[in-house]
Amino acid sequence: MKINNQKTVEKDELTGDKLLSGHESDNIRELDNSLPKWWVWLFILTIVFSVIYIFVFDVIKVAPYQQDEWKNEMAAAGTNASGQTSLVADTTLIAMSDAPSLEAGKEIWLKQCKVCHLEGGQGLVGPNLTDNFSIYGCKYGNLVHITTVGAPEKGMISWKTQLSETQIKQVSSYVVTLQGTTPPNPKAPQGEPCK
Amino acid sequence: MENQTFYYDNKIVKNFAYATLFWGVVGMVVGLLLALQFIWPSLSFGIPYTTFGRIRPIHTNAVIFAFVGNGMFTGIYYSLQRLCKARMFNDMLSKINFWGWQLIIVLAALTFIFGITTGKEYAELEWPVDILVAVIWIVFGWNMIGTIIKRRTAHIYVAIWFYIATFITIAVLHVTNSLAIPVGLFKSYPIYAGVQDALVQWWYGHNAVAFFLTTPFLGLMYYFLPKAANRPIYSYKLSIVHFWALIFLYIWAGPHHLLYSALPDWAQSLGVVFSVMLIAPSWGGMVNGLLTLRGAWDRVREDPVLKFMVVAVTAYGMSTFEGPLMSTKTVNAISHFTDWTVGHAHIGALGWNGFLTFAVLYYLIPRIFQTQLFSRKMANLHFWIGTLGIIFYAVPLYWGAITQASMWKEFTADGFLKYPNFLETVTQLQPMYAARAVGGALYITGVVIGVYNLILTIKAGKLLPEEAASAPALVSTESKRGSGEGIHRWLERKPVQFTIIALVVVLIGGLIEIVPLYLIKTNIPTIASVKPYTPLELQGRDIYVREGCYTCHSQQVRPFRSETERYGEYAKAGEYVYDHPFQWGSKRNGPDLSREGVVGGRQYRPNSWHYTHMLNPQQLNAQSIMPVYSWLIKDDLDLSTTAKKIRVMQFLGVPYPQGYDKIANDELMIQARGIADDLKSQGIQVEPTKEIIAMIAYLQRLGKDVHAAGSSPATITGK
Repeated sequence: MKINNQKTVEKDELTGDKLLSGHESDNIRELDNSLPKWWVWLFILTIVFSVIYIFVFDVIKVAPYQQDEWKNEMAAAGTNASGQTSLVADTTLIAMSDAPSLEAGKEIWLKQCKVCHLEGGQGLVGPNLTDNFSIYGCKYGNLVHITTVGAPEKGMISWKTQLSETQIKQVSSYVVTLQGTTPPNPKAPQGEPCK
Repeated sequence: MENQTFYYDNKIVKNFAYATLFWGVVGMVVGLLLALQFIWPSLSFGIPYTTFGRIRPIHTNAVIFAFVGNGMFTGIYYSLQRLCKARMFNDMLSKINFWGWQLIIVLAALTFIFGITTGKEYAELEWPVDILVAVIWIVFGWNMIGTIIKRRTAHIYVAIWFYIATFITIAVLHVTNSLAIPVGLFKSYPIYAGVQDALVQWWYGHNAVAFFLTTPFLGLMYYFLPKAANRPIYSYKLSIVHFWALIFLYIWAGPHHLLYSALPDWAQSLGVVFSVMLIAPSWGGMVNGLLTLRGAWDRVREDPVLKFMVVAVTAYGMSTFEGPLMSTKTVNAISHFTDWTVGHAHIGALGWNGFLTFAVLYYLIPRIFQTQLFSRKMANLHFWIGTLGIIFYAVPLYWGAITQASMWKEFTADGFLKYPNFLETVTQLQPMYAARAVGGALYITGVVIGVYNLILTIKAGKLLPEEAASAPALVSTESKRGSGEGIHRWLERKPVQFTIIALVVVLIGGLIEIVPLYLIKTNIPTIASVKPYTPLELQGRDIYVREGCYTCHSQQVRPFRSETERYGEYAKAGEYVYDHPFQWGSKRNGPDLSREGVVGGRQYRPNSWHYTHMLNPQQLNAQSIMPVYSWLIKDDLDLSTTAKKIRVMQFLGVPYPQGYDKIANDELMIQARGIADDLKSQGIQVEPTKEIIAMIAYLQRLGKDVHAAGSSPATITGK
């Protein structure tokens, strides 16, 4: 059976397209259609894109690599660390007492602080903040200070890169309102008694 | 010419079809359980064997290798015999292929339940099972190539080209990615570390999608679609061009899983462009499939087989357009680590593989059982519920992905992250996760209806185990090209040459990308402060691998302001050089952990926090979807393996001092007591020999070394 050089042209009944002679596998025939033009152009377009991409990024290197992208992004953003780099707390500060500030403080508390001090401030991983004892001082100013600079070796992280100065004051003011409350399962006192 | 009579082996087809249905239901039900664990984390039941990190690999492996794998064998064993006009080469090989594959699946499920895993996604099987996979795969290939050589047709049809490419490429991928040094029967360390391991793994992972989920199914499409539609293939020329373009280009695209990672930029660029160039070759398959249906569209409305095929091929077209899109750095910066990837994968798995598998089963089961499909109505119901299921599955995940990515990246006017607590971005997605579970449940409902319909079909019919056929013997043809014979037409007569050429074509991309990472040192600049793990940390790391923590937590901070502000230093190639295996992860259901141990860092938590969190995550955060890991507190660390692990690491080039294996456990205990004492000072009583201590030690090491180097590029130098 010679299968390649048959001269008669067979056509598909439904579409009129030319059938390839000799192309029959388990009764599956194949048509002699060319590649769709749009498909060929799509392929060429992606190849051209790729050549340009590699040329720009990896040959002449005018587009930034990822480290430079990051540097540019950081430079554009500027710095965001909030105040307080001094080693001592300003104990003369006075806690905020207006409702919006305390409400904002509570929101921060629930998102960031309760994961160690628990919702009511009764303490678990972090110390109990409702009792009359404190590790870093009892004043509002001490709270602001420790929240800002942290005590990393004990697990209290510095929040100055994640919270603004106002936010730190709001959450510290909220903590002041927790003092003297009696949530369930309080953690045993730590630190020195407050006067 | 003399006609020879021979018999198609339908029994092997039937066996594979049954296995497909069975494992399909199992794999998808496990998937549904995982989806529900996002909503109710207590569905991990507080025991290791049903916890997310262990059963997620069961779901992925069961769906890919058990459901799709058996479906592929079903279709290949059916179509190959008919396309070659020959019985399978050897019945014994067919049986070994079938039973061996089922044994692998059972072993996979058991080992994963017990935490025996390599920790490499879609390649979690440990070395003894890996060897079995290689053997059974070669049996399959031997049987297939034997059949092709014994064929009674002059040329091999396009479906067979795809089957050949599948066999050779999966063999190469599986063996290369699985190379490891055993520590024991159930534990090994891969020979690659860090960036190299990541590249090899994603070269494998990406091409498992290409050559296990795509090429064999294109082959099945090329056989079953024209058969079911009774139409000729639209374009032979297109099939040639898109076949070779597809197998050549696919292999290069693996690095698109590692964009903005510590992988060198040049390799990332290759991942981007080769993914973009894949659009047309992938769509070639879709175009050839859909245009083959010209003149038969009226029948698509009637015939469930064609309906399933049309949606399958359309889903293929969608996901092969979406894939390249996600491989551009701009889109990847948003989509990576989110549910976008999960949605994308399921358009492929549920739509393309799932629907095409059922199209094939609806086509061939009535035929080999000499009957009609029991109920066309039921098949239509399956079709519609399944299609709805895919939509309900994918759309919420896309929505959720964009929501979460935006939340990760949003800054306040003061320049602080708007959602610094990762959990907020997870809690926000709860409704989407619920909708996704509904979508999955719908899809499974469809599958169950399909299985029921097929069982009734089988009951109504009778298997024709040996189907008689006849064809003239193959006349040995001229080895050289005949006059007027196209070069490809000639190659189609020469399956061995075809196989060798295909192998060369698929090897090129992998070699060009992987080899330079070994030969050119500047690709992985060393960092002086990065030291090997202590024995306790190494043991802890192996627990991290065992529990599948990588299924929810990444260890790869991308160089974005939103990530360096959230986590700390972005990932450097040099910090992972002792990571056998790498644990970068691909999805963040929880936060990145690679800066967890940086004292003073944004993610730092004290030992007591980790202890409390593992014991009961919801005590610290009621909304947390982290499972309970209380057994880490109960179970003793296996100290008998420490020395061997150190020796294997030394063999792999990790610079522990000579004889360190002998004192490793002493050092381990010193560090463990330190952590236990620290916990005691926080009111937590736990023996230093418990697994939790090792886990904490490992977590507290993460990121320490690279942060010790500081962020100035001057301290990070290439050697």
